[in-house]
Amino acid sequence: MRLSIEHDTRYDYRPAVEHAQHTAHLQPRVTALQRVLHFNLEVEPRPVQIHQGHDAFGNPQAWWSQDTSHETLRVLARSVVETAVPLNLRSAQTWEEVRESFRYRSGQRGDAQATFLFGSHHAPLDERFARYASACFPRGRPLQEAALALMQQMHRDFRYVSQSTSIHTPALEALSTRQGVCQDFAHILIACLRSLGLAARYVSGYLLTQVPEGQERLIGADASHAWASVYLPELSHSACAGWLDLDPTNDRWGWGGPGPDYVVLAWGRDFSDVSPLRGVLQGGQSHALNVGVSVKPDESDVAGLPA
Amino acid sequence: MSDVPVSRITADHPPTPMNWLRDHAQAAPLGHWDELRNRLSGASQQAHPPGLLWTKFIDHLGPDGLSGLNPRMASLRRQVRDNGITYNIYAQADQPQRPWALDLFPLLISAQAWEQVEQGVRQRMQLLEHIMADAYGPQTLVARGLLPAALVQGHPGYLHAMHGAPPVGGHFLSLAAFDLARGPDGLWWLMSQRTQAPSGLGYLLENRLIISRLFPEAFEALPVQRLAATYQALIEGLKARCPVAEGQAPHIALLTPGPYNETYFEHAYLARYLGLTLVQAEDLTVRDEGLFLKTLQGLQRVHGVLKRVDDTWLDPLELRSDSALGVPGLLQAVRRGQVLVANTPGSGFLESNALLGFMPALAQDILGEELVLPAIPSWWCGEAAALPEALQQLARQDHGGVVKPTYPSEGQRQGFEPRPGRQMERPEREEWVTRILRDPDAHTVQSWLPVSHQPVWNDQTGHEKALQNRPVILRVFAVVDAAGQWQVLPGGLARLGTAEGIASMQRGGSSADVWVQAHDRQAVNPLSLLGQVAATPRQRLVTSRSAENLFWMGRYSERTENTLRLAQAVMETVGNEARSPGLLQWLTHCVQSQGMVPAATPAAGQSLRVFERNLVHCLWDTHEATSVGFNLRALLRAASAVRERLSPEHWHMLEQAELEFFHALLASDGLHPSRLPPAATVQRILQGTSERMAALTGAQTDRMSRDDGWRLLSMGRLIERLEFLCSVLSCAIETRLLRDPTGFDAVLSLFDSTISFHAQYQQSRTAEALVELLVLSTDNPRSLGWVAQTLRSRLMRLEHLAGGATRTLAARLPAAPVQVQALWPAHAAQPDALLALLSAYRQAAREISEGLSALFFTHSTPSARSISH
Repeated sequence: MRLSIEHDTRYDYRPAVEHAQHTAHLQPRVTALQRVLHFNLEVEPRPVQIHQGHDAFGNPQAWWSQDTSHETLRVLARSVVETAVPLNLRSAQTWEEVRESFRYRSGQRGDAQATFLFGSHHAPLDERFARYASACFPRGRPLQEAALALMQQMHRDFRYVSQSTSIHTPALEALSTRQGVCQDFAHILIACLRSLGLAARYVSGYLLTQVPEGQERLIGADASHAWASVYLPELSHSACAGWLDLDPTNDRWGWGGPGPDYVVLAWGRDFSDVSPLRGVLQGGQSHALNVGVSVKPDESDVAGLPA
Repeated sequence: MSDVPVSRITADHPPTPMNWLRDHAQAAPLGHWDELRNRLSGASQQAHPPGLLWTKFIDHLGPDGLSGLNPRMASLRRQVRDNGITYNIYAQADQPQRPWALDLFPLLISAQAWEQVEQGVRQRMQLLEHIMADAYGPQTLVARGLLPAALVQGHPGYLHAMHGAPPVGGHFLSLAAFDLARGPDGLWWLMSQRTQAPSGLGYLLENRLIISRLFPEAFEALPVQRLAATYQALIEGLKARCPVAEGQAPHIALLTPGPYNETYFEHAYLARYLGLTLVQAEDLTVRDEGLFLKTLQGLQRVHGVLKRVDDTWLDPLELRSDSALGVPGLLQAVRRGQVLVANTPGSGFLESNALLGFMPALAQDILGEELVLPAIPSWWCGEAAALPEALQQLARQDHGGVVKPTYPSEGQRQGFEPRPGRQMERPEREEWVTRILRDPDAHTVQSWLPVSHQPVWNDQTGHEKALQNRPVILRVFAVVDAAGQWQVLPGGLARLGTAEGIASMQRGGSSADVWVQAHDRQAVNPLSLLGQVAATPRQRLVTSRSAENLFWMGRYSERTENTLRLAQAVMETVGNEARSPGLLQWLTHCVQSQGMVPAATPAAGQSLRVFERNLVHCLWDTHEATSVGFNLRALLRAASAVRERLSPEHWHMLEQAELEFFHALLASDGLHPSRLPPAATVQRILQGTSERMAALTGAQTDRMSRDDGWRLLSMGRLIERLEFLCSVLSCAIETRLLRDPTGFDAVLSLFDSTISFHAQYQQSRTAEALVELLVLSTDNPRSLGWVAQTLRSRLMRLEHLAGGATRTLAARLPAAPVQVQALWPAHAAQPDALLALLSAYRQAAREISEGLSALFFTHSTPSARSISH
């Protein structure tokens, strides 16, 4: 499916910002299911230069600074991507086997994905997460099955309440109130998996806003979306490198991505690795934020556009 | 141990120092190496003589022998105080700093023992550099199972954001510190290593300067290896690796968390010694991926940063967003190779206790060598094979293991204090085992090492018990020189514990100089410590923050003097019968305008007694009033932020002024509100502080180099003086005070011009004479004319900055007429022209102050905020 995305961010500041440094994760990354046909980033006021590069997780990342006094910051990211249906894979590896495979033994090969085993700021290790997940993880159950069961359990237990939390709400708090937004659900799912000794990562992206008639619109459209991904080392040589994507907000899953209506921006240990826009400002004591996201099927001819 | 036979001291045969030491020096505890005797302390009751090095040291004590030690100890304390060496334990804004604790005796290390340390440290440095390069590059050590991911990517000190960035200048690590202890076998063992921001390089230099001068003969006789060459190697190495264009001089800054950091003294000291610009995060800014210093002269490029800020605080844009100690964009500048940061951010994982256990295998794999310097045996509980042994170690009753945190406490991860297994009762041990099994990665067990004991001289006890001993830990440093080679500093910082096995400055420990013996006199590098090793040709830059602090230092110096003089005037008036209502009214106005009493205080005319008691009470009150105590503290605070610009004497003077002023109150038992010191005592205290301030003014005018920073200090003073004197004089005129001889004299005294006046005009108290001396004179530094003229010329001297904007500021100062008549026509009831001039001066003073602040200080305000969505 060819999708066209517009991510429009506007900050209004009072008083004006004198100097600002920003970094952004707004360019979709290439994945097993996703090609990036076009990307364009516009920033106002215009920085002298926007530096584009990649972060430690291979995500495209941009940096810029602004020296001119400004009351409004506008960041407009436009992309066109081609997405595919998830891979058809199956893993029978039990969750204990996976957990044991990460255990350090001198001289035995270490898995590079072990980076996603450890607690992070938004997804810390805690027994309460493990307890919440335990019913889905009986002895000897394949990890794929157990992870899907956990995602479904979350989908049943948690209430999506928009603006009920902020990025500063700890995952533990959202776990106890059983409500939040997609970010919270993703962090809770990741924290549950990590607290059981498994590798899990945070995926930031979008959902198709316009859905074909007769189909229900998914939660999280019209905004940035986030979900989780769990690692099954058995399939590390597959095209998706063994990562199974799980969206507890919408009860959707798939190898390499939850579906062709999902767009992947970036992945990392948690939100803080991949926040779409992060900045440090001098001035601008108060601000108002407006974000508009639209994801549409793309009919334009992008053949001539640079990939 | 202490029950060695009592020596037989007789008047005829005084014991030799050696015999005396043999008999009186306390022996190290059983099973610990005894540094003095250079042997393991055994069970035998037999007294052993000092070892070879100590024998040599004692032989060269000089003619006074042991009896010269107490005077040396007193001299040591004096020098620590005079040099202003401090260590802030839990530094807070209004808490006094603690003097640095230094012992008299150096730790003596033989040339032979040092060889092993030097070789071993160099080898470990090589390994750490390799591990760092691998962790931020191919990560083969983890992939091959030589290191667990939990100790690399799983360590909070590992910065993912730096992965893939090549090291600026070719080295990830520019320096590192190693903590060593001497075991019962007499060998040095590695206890831990520090790479993020190791402290000690400044303190050890001060220790060396003081101790080597106290024992010059022994220092030459040993002979002791010199330190300066290694500092030079460090700075030359940094310069060589800075990314600068050919032929350009690199600009290197020392980044400090600020004056409230516990080791701020040495940041300032090192910056001065190494010729680096001392900066705080708010002094720096990243522009288009380059690092710049905000200075009076505009943005200046910085090519290198020696940092004393921990990694996770370095860049709020990519790391902790709540950090006020970091520079947004710094990581990107480092990744793009625009600035050398020493050490490269992200070395924190190398500091883990758990890493030590993996080093033997890594040495084999990477270098194909055995480790030269053994480390204390460590078991990381996250390794399944090591866990049972770790638990066994913990249960051992003899030496037993110590359980330590694998990771620093940070964020949600709670740290814990190391806990020796042999101090645990059974239930506690079981609790620890449960904790370890629940989160094995976070725990590391290390063997307990009985560390050597170093003799210390205690001059507080009687002579017989003066020679005690303390457990000692040695911190040694390695640096990379300009050729990219590791150099080990032949010396170090010895830290002495109070309790067995603990040597931390935070827990009331002490320190000692470290003397490493050279093989022979030729091997001693002649480079002296006294000269600055890196005299920098760069004209000293004045950061915007320093400029602001210097300006306020000037204002608060003047304010302190003004409030002192006012308080003295009130005290004199109380004791003087000839006081007019006008005088009291004028004093009330002056005192209130300075905020020296709470607003609700009744005027002096209503009740002089109440007024005076309020004033006295508020002298020391730093919350309710802005009187002498408040101003002194504010002065000290501003000065501490620019301490690297002040000579040690200058700083000492400031500290003493503040200390004496507040101590004087304590000494007079004035803490109790109803027991304020009597007037005579207050007057004595005020007099003492005035004298201190006069000396301080001398230091400011005579002992600081007159650069743009000094000009701001001077302008701060002048602006404050102009405002104060104008206000004082206007009020005096309005209250018709000058007609009253007592009032006339009080005004003169507040202008500090009594003597000049009487020298010129004898006893004729005419308004004309007063105006001539206090308003028009350009010779009297207390005259408004002089102040305005000097301020104008200072402003003009800053013309080269900020596009000449200070010229406009100078123009705000009104020109004074040359004739007294024009200001105060004879027989005029009110001198309107004079009052207008005073008002214009005050207005100008305010405008110039605001103008300077807008021109030079605004961009130093730390108002950075983080946003994220």
